[in-house]
Formats: sequence, C-alpha cells, structure tokens
Amino acid sequence: MTDSAQNTEALAELTRCRAEIERIDNEIIELLAKRLALGKRTGELKRLAGLPILDPTREAAVIRRVTGLARDAGLPSEPVREVFWQIVGMSRRAQDEGREGRE
Amino acid sequence: MIIITRPNVSDAEIDHIRERIESVGMRTHLSRGEHRTIIGCIGDESLLQEVPLRSLPGVESVTPILKPYKLASREFAVDRTIVRVGARDGAATFGGQAITVIAGPCSVESHGMLIETAHAVRAAGATMLRGGAFKPRTSPYAFQGLGAEALRLLADVRAETGLPVVTEVMDTRQVDLVAEHADMLQVGARNMQNFALLAELGRVRRPILLKRGLSATIKELLMAAEYIMANGNHDIVLCERGIRTYETATRNTLDIAAIPVLKRETHLPVIVDPSHAGGDAGLVAPLAFAAIAAGADGLIVEVHPDPENALSDGDQSLAPPAFAAMMQHLEAFAAATGRSIGVEAPTAWAVA
Repeated sequence: MTDSAQNTEALAELTRCRAEIERIDNEIIELLAKRLALGKRTGELKRLAGLPILDPTREAAVIRRVTGLARDAGLPSEPVREVFWQIVGMSRRAQDEGREGRE
Repeated sequence: MIIITRPNVSDAEIDHIRERIESVGMRTHLSRGEHRTIIGCIGDESLLQEVPLRSLPGVESVTPILKPYKLASREFAVDRTIVRVGARDGAATFGGQAITVIAGPCSVESHGMLIETAHAVRAAGATMLRGGAFKPRTSPYAFQGLGAEALRLLADVRAETGLPVVTEVMDTRQVDLVAEHADMLQVGARNMQNFALLAELGRVRRPILLKRGLSATIKELLMAAEYIMANGNHDIVLCERGIRTYETATRNTLDIAAIPVLKRETHLPVIVDPSHAGGDAGLVAPLAFAAIAAGADGLIVEVHPDPENALSDGDQSLAPPAFAAMMQHLEAFAAATGRSIGVEAPTAWAVA
C-alpha cells in the first residue's frame, strides 16, 4: 500500500472514531441527566423520610464502589474518583435546589 | 492528617481506609510510591475523632499535619512532584534531575524580536520561552503589553521553535484565553493572593508558575499554592523572585534561604527569577549561580535582543550573548549539585 493510500485510510478511520466518540458522549449526557433526575427524587424521598440531604457515608460508599469498578475495568482509578466526586457533588446540589423550590 | 500504610497494603484496604475517612465528610488524596503509600486527609480534622484510624487494616501510622498547607506540604507526597510542561517529546520538566531554564523577553513586542530571542535562548540551552502578553505595570501610563495579539505570537513562535511557552495571566476573565495559547500559566507576584484567580487556575488543565509576592512570607506562598491545589490543579512550580526589604541598592532582595526552606516544606518544584530579584542585568548571572547552588530546580530569565530599546524592564534584561555566557558557567554549578541543564534524560522519564 502506498503512503497516500494509508493516509487516506487512517483519516477515514479517524472520522469514524470521532463519530463514535460523539455518540458515546451523547449517551454520557443522557445518563447524567437520568442520574440527576434520580438524585432529585432521592432528595424528595429523604425529606419525606425526615433524613438530611447531606449523607457523607452514602457518598463515600458510592465512591468506593466505582473505584473498584474502575479498577476491575482496567481504568486509572484516581481520575475516575475525581469524575465521580464531581457527579456526586452535582447530584447533591440538585437535591438542595429541589428543597429551595419547595420552601 | 496523613496516614502511612503498611508496605504490603492491598487496594481493598486502601479503599476501606479512604471510605472511612470520606464517610465523615472529609476528602482524601493518595500518593503512591514504590515502597509506601500516603493517604492525606483534607477537611475539618475534628471530624476524624470518631474514626479509629490506627486500628484500620493496612494502617502503619497516623500523623497530624500541623501546618496550614496540607496538599502542598512535603509530608503529603511520597516523592517530589515533577511538573511537565508541553505535550511533545522534549517537553520541559521541573523537579527532576534536569534544571530547566526559561528565557525570553519581559514583554512580547513583535514577532521578529520574539523569534530572534527564542532561537538565541534555545541555542544557549534554554528549554522554555517566556514572554509577557498582559503586563501588570506599576504605572497606568507604562506599556501594558500587546494582550491577545501577543498570545498568538507566542503560539506561533512555539510552533516554529518547539519551545513550550509560559505567560502571565492577570485576571480570571483571561484564564481560558491564555490557557488556549500557552503551555504554562504564570501568576505574577502582585497577584499571588488574588484568591479568585487562584481558584480559577485550580480548574485549568495547565501547569502553573506561581511567583512569590513582593511582601509575602514563605507560608503565604505555600497557602497560595494550596488554594490552587484544593481546587484541583496539582501541577505547580513555585518561583522565588526577591522580596521587599530596606535595601535600595537592588530592586528586591533575593531570598536565597527560601529555596532550601521550600524544599523542606513542600514537594513542589522551586525556581528562581534572578532578573526581577536584582533589577539589574549585572546581577542576573551571580544570582542565577547562587540559586542553582542552593538547590533551585530552574530559572526564569529575561532576555531581550536589544535591551537598550526594550519597551519594559530593559535594565534587567540580558542581551543574548550575555545570556549564553551565563548558561555556559551555569553548567558547572548544576554539576556541583549533581544535576544537568536541559531536557530530562529518557531513562529518568521511565522511572518517574
């Protein structure tokens, strides 16, 4: 195969990979939206049950669980932990907002 | 508070220790070395009173950190931090065996002067380029820098020479723009305690060059670093650039002792700016030699192709021949401390 044919093939493959990455990003956003919606619902349920919104024990358990999953999947666990601390933080804020809207 | 684990600690034991700490609302930071692992606790330490840390499996010892800076403290990391700047091969490193010299004009004046300076300093052994785009000047009537235009020129010259670029960011509104063009963002001495800016830089994925304030103590410098780290960015290089004293013969007094003190207090790399410290081109080389002899990990030096006609800081800028002469002598000082000038050897990369 000539260099230029190889080039063309690599570029085509690159375009396909990027399209696939965008599709996965769409899924991540959809899943985040679902997760936040569930977070809001748990916030409501916590209020009904008379429990505080902030639950560090539960947050720590969530982080520990995903750390293990990341490691099993061969992913670097520290960056994954950071990502999930962000997600847990977003979820906590969503639960808080729900409360302000009600009061 | 730091927890030092037993040598053969398992991942599951580390996970458990961290879960126990995080269960009370604190956060943890992990530093893994070849022989031991440190788990640093961040947050209100009184919360930990309820946790029987010493009896958790895998824990060897628990030590309180009495200093106000935690993430920046030497105790928090097993090994010294090596900060890498630039994505390509031959990127500059700070804190390893190699001493990195950053050189370039105080402010970017034109493409011609920048490319001329870049080629000259690279030939002399510098592995990074500096150049001001936004200049914090004492007088509002002095040249304020070319701004966004200078950022584009810096990016162009980086592409032409391969030298990673550092430039100052003065304002939270400029952070994204500067991060787009530069490989490393500098916090100037006058902004060292601009906490809004520090917090913003914590969210940037670029290494930070943090200069010591004119009247800041070493502790305040480390607290400024802690601010950036607490917001998520751990790639920080500290810079001693002289402090204000009663002496008027020099612009500032270079605090040489700050270098070994910082080396004792923090795992972050430390470099020195001999140009601003002395404020006089004649003082640059001797201060640079002293800095390297005292253990600095690098230098940032102002070089201008025509210092006499520089738009800013001409008095303290070296012309390229003087810079080259200084670099030649610098090698002996580096060798005396068991180090070399320039890019880290490939073997050292593999170990780090």
